[in-house]
Amino acid sequence: MDLMKIFKDSYHIMAKDLLSLRRNKMSLAALFIMPIAFLVMFGFIFPSGNTQTHMPVGVVNLDDGSGSTQFISQLNALNSNNSYLNLQNFTSTDAAKTEINQGKLYGTFIIPPGFSYNMSHGQSADVVMLVDNSNPQIASQIEGVTANTITMMNGQQAVYNVVNMSASTGQSVNPQAMVFPYTPNIQTTIPGQNNYFNFLAPGLMIMIVMMTVMTGIPEAISKEKEIGTFDGMLSAPINQISIILGKTAALCVRGFGQCILILLLAVLFFGVTIQGSILLAFVMLLLGIFSFVGIGIVAVSMSEDQASGTMIVNLLMFPMMFLAGIFYPLQQMPWFMQDIAKVIPLTYAADAMRKIMLLNANLGDVITQVLILVAFGVVTMAIAVPLFRRSMTR
Amino acid sequence: MTENAIEINNLTKEFGDFKAVDNLSLNVKSGEIFGFLGPNGAGKSTTIRMLCTLAQPTSGSATVSGYDLVKDAAKVRENIGLVAEKMIMYDALTAAENLRFFGKLYRIPKDELERRIDELLEMVNMQEWKDTQINKFSTGMKQRINVIRALLPEPKIIFMDEPTLGLDPQTTFSIREIIRDINKKGVTVILTTHAMVEAEALSDRVAIIDHGKIAALDTPENLKNMISDVNTTIFSVKITNLSSQLIESIRNLENVTALSQQDDHILKISATGENALNNIIDSIRAKGGNIFSITNSNESTLEDVFLALTGKEIRDHASEKAAPTPHGHGQRAQARVR
Repeated sequence: MDLMKIFKDSYHIMAKDLLSLRRNKMSLAALFIMPIAFLVMFGFIFPSGNTQTHMPVGVVNLDDGSGSTQFISQLNALNSNNSYLNLQNFTSTDAAKTEINQGKLYGTFIIPPGFSYNMSHGQSADVVMLVDNSNPQIASQIEGVTANTITMMNGQQAVYNVVNMSASTGQSVNPQAMVFPYTPNIQTTIPGQNNYFNFLAPGLMIMIVMMTVMTGIPEAISKEKEIGTFDGMLSAPINQISIILGKTAALCVRGFGQCILILLLAVLFFGVTIQGSILLAFVMLLLGIFSFVGIGIVAVSMSEDQASGTMIVNLLMFPMMFLAGIFYPLQQMPWFMQDIAKVIPLTYAADAMRKIMLLNANLGDVITQVLILVAFGVVTMAIAVPLFRRSMTR
Repeated sequence: MTENAIEINNLTKEFGDFKAVDNLSLNVKSGEIFGFLGPNGAGKSTTIRMLCTLAQPTSGSATVSGYDLVKDAAKVRENIGLVAEKMIMYDALTAAENLRFFGKLYRIPKDELERRIDELLEMVNMQEWKDTQINKFSTGMKQRINVIRALLPEPKIIFMDEPTLGLDPQTTFSIREIIRDINKKGVTVILTTHAMVEAEALSDRVAIIDHGKIAALDTPENLKNMISDVNTTIFSVKITNLSSQLIESIRNLENVTALSQQDDHILKISATGENALNNIIDSIRAKGGNIFSITNSNESTLEDVFLALTGKEIRDHASEKAAPTPHGHGQRAQARVR
């Protein structure tokens, strides 16, 4: 068969499909709203790992010494830097507890009597933190913030003590090195703060392309079958492969348009930094399409009409969307889910996309994923194409 | 020598247990208009789909323009045009864009393609609509585009599946003119239709197909003579108080071989047997029918042949002597002829 003719016919079919799409204002609008909705929706509803700020917390001072006053002023000074807490003073434990029960406070510090006495007599002074753990997420955040704050205050106090001791004994020391012998210096592969969108954007791009192509193939082909235009193409002297190629190409153009939109939004509004080659990323997208387009073709070959074709595809697509590690890292899933994820091509495509875009990985770094995707594509296409040919002349 | 445009040998198509086309054998001569008639579900469309390589035969073989359907499917496609029952065109594209798209699939060179598009649009008087989207067209306009789309690659053989179904008389007339025109230029036309007048007026030969088999194949003239034997009487009777019960009782008479309702008062009846006319008149009067006039029309039509060969019952409920309503078979076919 004349290869040039196949490509030319595919091109004509693609151009025809895109022209039809351009005339259809509604689907054109939906095409661009979908990626925006996905990015905003998933970007904001999933836990981002950031700690809440201005959490209302009470302070009950039952001590009458100067130690507790100093403690509270240090607490206030620290908090005014990061504003995690919104501190309010209460005169009794009961008053604070009432506020907690009414949901106005997340928890309260209680400084017990004898706090100053313990401090001035060389003992550790207890501070009670009463946490409302009826909301476990907030409780763990409060616990974290409290532990952090107290650790910092301990450090400050220790530095102050060391300075006093060295002055009284006449030794010259570096109090910072005495109290904090180890200082962590955290560096990241991606500059800037941790950002969930960095994780989300590459996966979302490949997922959008998958959705567009996989739902698009059964939709486009069944629709033409139903309105009758398919007979016009099949009775023309063209290879049936041209129809698959042309339709897929048209859907790729749509999917790439959506990807570019996601990329722009992610960079401009969600602080995503792209370090890798965009070109390689799009090559990866193409490879991803090759690996799962076969599934869409099998679906359309096995179904009689548009509704059942779309249903089969949705059935396959939804688990793929959520199990492929697009929204959560795979490592957070239970082991059996991770095993399922291993047989989904989207997993490898998303993983490779992330490495390429965020870590500037080259083709050699993601060769395993590439080979798996190629193998997946070859196998599904080997099943899909004969099935499609047979279904055409049923 | 390719005397025959199409040669069909024992062609069979089964869908599960159902034989849609059953050992069909026939030849279509080059340059003729070949009418393909039969009740709904008789296997006409399935046969056409197979001949256009859109369906695989279960068994048997056929050549179209000298090429085997299965082995040389690509060659077959280069030589045929298809006007299918469902119109082959994209609503969002303009007339010219539709024609251009399909023309390109046939590898028609660009200049040549533009020339043919203009020529064909002119033929159907639609030049001014060239750049208008199809979804703004009426059914008649769409069908004219649908027909010229099939003519675009200048096929040797054109298949037309009910090309005038649901069209107004003007468009119907113009489509029939086109069919005659292209046939004069040497194109073989395979036409399926329920409009008997159309088949009779256009076809050189007609095949009546039923239950996937040929019931009759001949020129319309010979087919009509076939049933106009001395024993058959065909007449119209005008009954002023015509009711559906009365039609039923006439239909069930032994002498009546075919019956169709022409309008509110007139029935057209084919009858055989001794004293057929007298018996029928007696029965009508016995049932209280008031006969206004009787017109003898011994000139039978293709519709009479069709009904005589394929029976009186409607195909949807294939039981014996199913009771068709006055709105059944006869009237619908009649309405379409007009």
